[in-house]
Amino acid sequence: MTNEPDRPDAPEPPAEVGGAGKARTSILVLDDEAIVCKRLKPFFQKAGYEVEAFNNPTEALARVKERRFDVVITDLKMEGLDGLAFLGKVKELYRDTDVIVITGFATLETSRESFRKGVFDFVAKPFKLAEILDVVRRVEKERGLAP
Amino acid sequence: MELPSLTDFFARWRAKPPVPFSVLFKKFKSILERNNAILGLIGDMGDKLGGDYIFDRQYILDSCERLGDQVFKLVSDLSLLCQRKNVGLFTAFERISYEIREELAGRRVLSRTDHLLPLCDLTHDLVDEGGNKMANVGDIRNILGFTVPEGFVITAGAYFEAMERAGLRGRAAEIPTKFAGGDLDGLTEVAVQLQKDILAMPLPKGLAKAVKLAAKRLAAEHGQMLAVRSSAWGEDGESSFAGMYESVLGVSPEQILSAYKAVLASLFCEQALRYRLQRGLFREEPAMAVGVMRMVQARVSGGLYTYVPLLEHDQPMVVSAAWGLGKPIVEGTAETDTFFIGRDPPHELLSSEIGVKSTRLVLDAAGGTRTEDVPAEAAASPCLDRDQLTLLAKTAMSLERFFKRPLDVEWAFTPQGELVILQARPLSIKPKTCTEGPDVAEATKDVPVIISGKGVPAMGGVSSGPVHIVGEGADLSDFPYGAILVTHHSSPRFARVMPKCRGIITEMGSATGHMATIARELRVPTLVGVSDALSILREGQEITLDADHIVVYQGVVEALCRYELGKEDVFEESWEYRTLTRVLKHISPLTLLDPDADSFSPEKCKTFHDIARYVHQRAVDKLIALSEEHQEIKESAPHKLITKLPLGLTVIDVEGGLAAGARDEIREEDVRCRPLRALLEGMNASGMWETCAVAVDMGSFMSSVTRTMTASQSHPTTLGRNLAVISEEYLNLHLRLGYHFTVVDAYLGESVNDNAVLFRFMGGVTDFTRRSRRAGLIAAILEQYDFVVKISGDMVTGRAKKHPEKAMLDKMFMLGGLIGYTRQLDTRLGSDDAGRHHFDTFVQRINALREARQ
Repeated sequence: MTNEPDRPDAPEPPAEVGGAGKARTSILVLDDEAIVCKRLKPFFQKAGYEVEAFNNPTEALARVKERRFDVVITDLKMEGLDGLAFLGKVKELYRDTDVIVITGFATLETSRESFRKGVFDFVAKPFKLAEILDVVRRVEKERGLAP
Repeated sequence: MELPSLTDFFARWRAKPPVPFSVLFKKFKSILERNNAILGLIGDMGDKLGGDYIFDRQYILDSCERLGDQVFKLVSDLSLLCQRKNVGLFTAFERISYEIREELAGRRVLSRTDHLLPLCDLTHDLVDEGGNKMANVGDIRNILGFTVPEGFVITAGAYFEAMERAGLRGRAAEIPTKFAGGDLDGLTEVAVQLQKDILAMPLPKGLAKAVKLAAKRLAAEHGQMLAVRSSAWGEDGESSFAGMYESVLGVSPEQILSAYKAVLASLFCEQALRYRLQRGLFREEPAMAVGVMRMVQARVSGGLYTYVPLLEHDQPMVVSAAWGLGKPIVEGTAETDTFFIGRDPPHELLSSEIGVKSTRLVLDAAGGTRTEDVPAEAAASPCLDRDQLTLLAKTAMSLERFFKRPLDVEWAFTPQGELVILQARPLSIKPKTCTEGPDVAEATKDVPVIISGKGVPAMGGVSSGPVHIVGEGADLSDFPYGAILVTHHSSPRFARVMPKCRGIITEMGSATGHMATIARELRVPTLVGVSDALSILREGQEITLDADHIVVYQGVVEALCRYELGKEDVFEESWEYRTLTRVLKHISPLTLLDPDADSFSPEKCKTFHDIARYVHQRAVDKLIALSEEHQEIKESAPHKLITKLPLGLTVIDVEGGLAAGARDEIREEDVRCRPLRALLEGMNASGMWETCAVAVDMGSFMSSVTRTMTASQSHPTTLGRNLAVISEEYLNLHLRLGYHFTVVDAYLGESVNDNAVLFRFMGGVTDFTRRSRRAGLIAAILEQYDFVVKISGDMVTGRAKKHPEKAMLDKMFMLGGLIGYTRQLDTRLGSDDAGRHHFDTFVQRINALREARQ
C-alpha cells in the first residue's frame, strides 16, 4: 500500500456548503447493480446528504482510501471484491465509519460474519427508501451526527 | 422399497380410493395456502412499481422464478387432488413461463400481430409495438388529450417479420457479439452492407399491401403528403439516438414502401451501431417501428424547449417560431422569432426577438413542399400572439410533467388556429443548477415542512402548485390547471383531471388501488393515506409535494423541482422498471372472471393469476365432489346445511365441527364450529342480509341487465355449491353469492398467537368505478375493525391476527354481517357519496348489533 490512509482520529474536514458551515453526513454507496446507485444517490442528496456512489468495488475502495465517509452502504455479493471483504477494509481504515449491508441473499452465515466485522445493520433487498433512510438516521443519532 | 410412479398412483386410485380423506384434505389445504402465497407474491411484485422501493435485476429474476415454481407446484397439487394429468393447465403454465422468460431475456413478446396500429390505439402500454417516439405521440394524444397529426404505426412486429423473411434478423442480431470485444474494425462495412440489403429486401406481401392501403386512406381524404418517422426501441427514451435515424417528409402514398425501408435501414447506420455498442445497449435486440402521419398544413410552426439554463432569464422556456412548415426551423436554416416565457403560470413573456421571416415553406398543391415569399408586413411582425404563447406554454408544461424531464417539443398552428403537437423528445441539456446535489439539500433545509412521513407514495416524484380541495361528489369540470388535488378518498374518477393536476394527496386509499394505477400511468406524484391532510392543507395554499420522501413543504421549492427535472435517470424508464412492468403483464391481470362461462378453461389462462384462480375454483369443486363421493365421508354422511338464508352450503366436518350424530341434513344449531357459528349469527342478524329489489341501472348494465339478480338466483338450488370445511376451531369457507366471491379462513384455537382470520372478497361484474368504490368501501370497513387490508385491483384481502378469542368471534360476527350487506351492493354504489353512506349505515347497524350481543 503506497498511500497512508487517513486515521480515524484525523478525518478529512467535512465539506462545507455556501458558507453555511454545517457539516453534512457523508455516505458512500456501493452496489454493482447500477439501478441501486442511480436511485439511492439522488434520494439521499435530496434528503440533505453528501453522497458518492460506485458500481465497482475496486473504485469504491480506492475512494475510501482517499477519504472517510460517515456511512457506507454496500451490497454483499458483487463481481470482483466481495462485500464482506469491503466491509472489513472499511472498518480497518475507520473504526467509526458505520456500514449498512444491503443484500438479497443474507444467509445466517454471512450475517454472522458481517456482525462479527462490525456491520451496523442489514437491510434486505428489495427495500423501501424510507427503510434505508431510517437506518442512516439511526446511525446519525448514535454517532451524534444529527441534532 | 421402490416408490410407486405417478401413473401407478392414479391407476390404483381409480380402482379403489386408497387415500384417506384427511390426506386429500391436506392437499386441498396446501392448494389454498399456495394460492394465498402466490397472490401475495403477485401483489408484492406490483407494489415494487409504486416508486418507494429499491429493487434490482436480481429481484425480478428471483421473484419470477419463485412464482413460477409455486404456480407449477399448484398445478401439480391439483393433478394429485383430482387424479388427472391436467395437460391443458401445464401447457398454459409452460406458455406463460416461456413468455416471461422471453421478456427477461430482452426478446419482447409482442401482443399484437396485426402489424398496423392506428394512433388512436397507441399509448406507452404498447411501446413495444409502437416504439418510443410514436408511443410518446400516442400518450400525448390518448392520455393527455392534445391534438397530434392523424396517422398509424407500422409496428416493431412488422419489422421482425420482414427481417426474418428476408433472412436478415439473425445477421443483425450477431453484430453485438461480433464487436463485443470493443474492437470496432470493420463496423463500417457491416453497417453499409446490412443497410443495402434492407433497402433491397422484399417486404412480406400482406404487410406491403396493408401499408399501401393504410397510407392511401390516410392521405386520400385531403390528398395530403405523409411524414414517415422512425420510432425505434429506446429512441427518445433513456438513450436519445437523437438524429441518428431517418425520417422522411413529404412522402406520397405511392412512395410509402421505399420510405418505410429507408427508415428501417437507418436502424443499422454506423453511428447508431457505434452508439449502441459503446453504451452497452445490446441486452435487447434492436427494433424499428415506423410512424406514418399526415403532414400538417401549418400557418406557423416551430420548436419549444421547456427549459433553458440561461442565468439572465432565470431558466425560462424558449419558443422559436416562423411562418409555414417547421422543417427549416428545426434544421436551423430559417430566420425565426424567439420568445422567452416563464415556466410557471401565468407564463409571463419575459422577452422576445422578432426576426424578418422573408420566406416560408408550404405544402405544394401538386405534392411535396415549396418555398415561397412572405408578404412584407407579415415578415417583420411576430408570428405568435400572447394567447398562442400561453397555450403553447401550458401544453408544453403538461407534457414535461408527464414525461418528467425537460422536453424539445415540435408544434404547429393550423390556419384554423388549432395547436398540433408533432413530437416531443427529452432534451439532452440538463438544467444547470440542478445537478449539483448540495444545492438541493440546502434548498430544503430551511423550508417549513407541513407534512412529513405520513402516507404512502402511490407514485413518486416532486411537484408544486396551489392546493385544490375536492369534496365528495364535487364537480370536477372546473378543476384549476396546475393545482394539487387534495381529497378524502382516492377515486378513479380523478382520472379525468389528472392531466391538469400536478399532484394528488388523499387521506384514504391504497397504493395498489385503481386510482394509484391511473396516477402511475399519468405519472402524477401521489401520496395516499395522509390521515389528516384536509385539516392541515388549505384551499389555494402553495405547496411542494415530494412523494419520494413523503414530505409536503410550504411554498414552491424551486430548487427541488428543478433537481427532479435534471435527474439523469427517470425511474420509469430504467430497464428494471420496464422489465418488471412487462413481466407483470403475464402475471397479474385476472382475465378468468366467471367460473360458469365456457371461457373458464385452462386454454384461456393468460396469466399466472388466471391459473391460480382456475386451480382454486377446481380444487373447491373437487372437494365438494369428494364430500359426496368419497367413501369415508359418505359413511360419515355428507352434510347439507339448512340455513335460514339461501346459502346452498355443503359442510365437511374434519373434526368436531358438528354435534355428534349429525345427519345428512343439518341445521344451524348442529354447528359446533365456533367461527362459523359467529359468522352465521352475523349474517342472520336483523338488517344485515340485503334483500331490497335491485333497480335496473344502465351504469351497471353488466350486473343488472345481462345478469338480473332475480329471485331465481338467490334460490339455493341455482346458487351453485358453496363449501365450508370445518372443525371445532377452524373454518374455511368459499362462498359465491351472485358474482361475488368470498373466502373466509379462520382459526380460533387455544393459543392467542395462532388465532388468525383472513377475509377475501373479489369478483362482481360491473363497471370499473363501481368495483373500485365497492373495494374501497369493504377495505374501509375492514380497517375500521382492525384488519390489515390490501387492495389489488378488484380483490380486497383483510387479515387479523393474534386477537383474543372473544375479539376474533366479534370479527367473525361482523364479517357475517358484511357478507350479507355487500351482497347486492354494486348496483347501489352510483356515487362516492353512496359509498360513504353505506359505510356509515353498515357501521352503525353492526355496532348496535355487536353491543346487544356482548
